Amino acid sequence: MDQTTLVLALLPILIIQFALMIFALVDLIKNPNPNGPKWMWGILIVVINIIGPILYFVVGRRNY
Amino acid sequence: MKQFSILMQKEWRENIRNYKIYWVPAIFILLGITEPVVNFFLPQILQSSGGLPEGAVFEFPTPPPEQILAAVMEQFQTIGMAVLILAYMGTVAGERKSGTATLLYVRPLSFPAYFLSKWVVASAISLVSVWVGFLAGYYYTLLFFDRVEGMELFQMVGTYSIWVLLIVSIIVAASAAMPNGGLAAAVAFAIYLILQLTDGLFGAAWSISPVKLPQYAAAWLADSPDSGSLTGAIGIAALIILALLVFGSWISWKNKAKTKV
Repeated sequence: MDQTTLVLALLPILIIQFALMIFALVDLIKNPNPNGPKWMWGILIVVINIIGPILYFVVGRRNY
Repeated sequence: MKQFSILMQKEWRENIRNYKIYWVPAIFILLGITEPVVNFFLPQILQSSGGLPEGAVFEFPTPPPEQILAAVMEQFQTIGMAVLILAYMGTVAGERKSGTATLLYVRPLSFPAYFLSKWVVASAISLVSVWVGFLAGYYYTLLFFDRVEGMELFQMVGTYSIWVLLIVSIIVAASAAMPNGGLAAAVAFAIYLILQLTDGLFGAAWSISPVKLPQYAAAWLADSPDSGSLTGAIGIAALIILALLVFGSWISWKNKAKTKV
């Protein structure tokens, strides 16, 4: 398997990670009352990939 | 029946609005992709992680594709189940806490329809997530390793789906029984761990057990599991799911007084 097909094959992982991050960030910006400071959630979502957005969706949106 | 379909619509809309129909499948797809990829790059990963003398040579046998798919299932068993618990721990309990429940409970509500609507939507999303996760894992295994018989995959996913249904029933019932989502998650985790533990301790003597369903699912890849124990396990799982549905409807009716107004 050469380099370009390899990169193409790994692209979906990156896309899913970015999609999760962007979904979470957009929701955070629109959320008037997140569970905890907004800047903290922003950092968590951007820095910790995959787990950060999930934590935000589960805990930060107060819909548990 | 009318109530049920309306409650289903409400439940479905809620799952769209809190993005669960996006992020739960996304996690399972990621888990499904990661396992074959990590296995494929294992020699490079080991080499670049350092600590090896210059010029060390590795002979890695290529793992059989069946083993990769079994490993994907292992991932689903740990991280995947934790994600499902996190996603659905609050499906009833959170509603009571946030006040949505008061809007429902003041009406002449059929609690079986209410509980069933939650169970159906949670199960549907979980099952679809697991299926797309396996599909992604299958595709990447095909890409990096070798073919797995499509029929084998189908049988494995089918058997595993029943286990997923069982876990979702436990989670939703726990959510109905507990006062808040955190406690529901703790109870669901505890039941999950106890089930695994008892199977680990006494499982050898006890082949007709629903806890063995993931093992039977993996067994489809190598051979076929013992059909008698498999049907027995599926039957018991179905009975437990039914019992949990009845219990859940009853306990959500009984706990309606705990709603925050």
